[in-house]
Amino acid sequence: MGNVVELKNVTKNFEEFSVKNINLQVKQGFVTGFIGENGAGKSTTIKMMMNLLKPDAGEVKLFGLDYKKHEKTIKERIGFVYDGNIFFEGLNLKDIKRIVAPAYKQWDDTLFYQYVEQFKLPLNKAIKTFSKGMQMKASLAIALSHHAELIIMDEPTAGLDPIFRRELLDLLQELMIEGNRTIFFSTHITTDLDRIADYIAFMQNGELVFNQSIHDLAENYALVKGGMDLLDRDTEKDFVHIHRSSTGFEALTDNIKEVKNTFGNTVIIERPSLEDIMYYLKGGIHHV
Amino acid sequence: MFNLIRRDVILQKRQLLLFIPFILFFIIMDSHPALTFLIASIFIPFNTYAYDEKVETNILLNSLPYTRTEIIASRYLGAIVYMVLAIGVTSLALFAFNKPFTIIDIAIGSSLFLLFAAFTFPLFHIFKPGYISTVVMISFLLLAAIGPAIVLFLAEHLTAITDFINGLSVPVLYIGGTLVIMLLYFISWGTTTVIYQRKAF
Repeated sequence: MGNVVELKNVTKNFEEFSVKNINLQVKQGFVTGFIGENGAGKSTTIKMMMNLLKPDAGEVKLFGLDYKKHEKTIKERIGFVYDGNIFFEGLNLKDIKRIVAPAYKQWDDTLFYQYVEQFKLPLNKAIKTFSKGMQMKASLAIALSHHAELIIMDEPTAGLDPIFRRELLDLLQELMIEGNRTIFFSTHITTDLDRIADYIAFMQNGELVFNQSIHDLAENYALVKGGMDLLDRDTEKDFVHIHRSSTGFEALTDNIKEVKNTFGNTVIIERPSLEDIMYYLKGGIHHV
Repeated sequence: MFNLIRRDVILQKRQLLLFIPFILFFIIMDSHPALTFLIASIFIPFNTYAYDEKVETNILLNSLPYTRTEIIASRYLGAIVYMVLAIGVTSLALFAFNKPFTIIDIAIGSSLFLLFAAFTFPLFHIFKPGYISTVVMISFLLLAAIGPAIVLFLAEHLTAITDFINGLSVPVLYIGGTLVIMLLYFISWGTTTVIYQRKAF
């Protein structure tokens, strides 16, 4: 299976922040969740994928093509949804469609109206009167109406209420039934991903910590709980980060085998949630 | 590209309703026809910039299958298209109100518009959004107010240049003027394209 997006050694420097040496592949036909704290570099990375930002170094390729020569071909095949509203807020959805539709060769009006109906969107009300959830649905309707192969979304669930979030996730899942579609979306609400993501890419402080399938992730990381007396300088080496409390310790390991060797049955080994992984990795990737 | 130019009309449907009374105001106030042509031409292209200076608009346009070169080209070509349309409408209005005007008025109005556009379009991409429309509008009014006085002053005091210009035959003057304006417009177009290519959103 090919990669739809390929970032090779991509670096982008800002005055007070930089995204360093990113190597990221997004697999065709899967949902990849892009996680990390606010300010970890997710939006910057997405902007580089969309060519809104140009990397200082490295290579960005979509569908195996680069932006220098194939900008239009690439963008024809992408559907995008951003965190905030990027449409002219005084216009209604019909007029926005009039502006966006002719940009795409593959625009499908029937499909658009189908989504408008499904999402119960008003066509003649100004976008600025839409709720956050409706704005999001409007962006999505537009993103989905030109048969895009890749849907890129930056924090689509941010600011949405839980019920709406679930609806959105169900919808994304439905979209995936249809053939070769790829979805790449960033979020800092990790519970969104447990339900639909096949792959998880995790960014922290401008670096990509990992990009693994959910399945591998579960195999590679474990949450370990045990008494404080088990910890010493040697045994601590098995953990990525340790959280200590009076009742015992809780730690994340990326070396389950070693933990089993060292501690045997004296500790409890659990499957970590994505949030656990994010939380513990935040304490430092290197061994404490 | 045509879609990008057409976009302005969709975007400014409501403002366009203001366009006619706006022009009529200048006509009824008996402004010089050249000034009326200039003001009419400025209306749509500069209104567009009031939208385009917003970051969101640039994110939208750049996420759609357009290249940055096309986005800028649509601004520069669009300005000419809308100028021609505005001149058409204004001519009709002047005609309807029985105000005389000459082809020279049109020439002066459109040259001034193109010059003004050539100088200000790049500025929209240099300065921070939010300020620039105001800056441009104020500088336009200032120029309109004191510009002629400056030209007259220069004409009186820099006799060498005045003599040179007076020495030119009328066709040479017109052709020369057109060429200079076209050149400036193209330089401005190129500059803006380069600036826009380098921008990050």
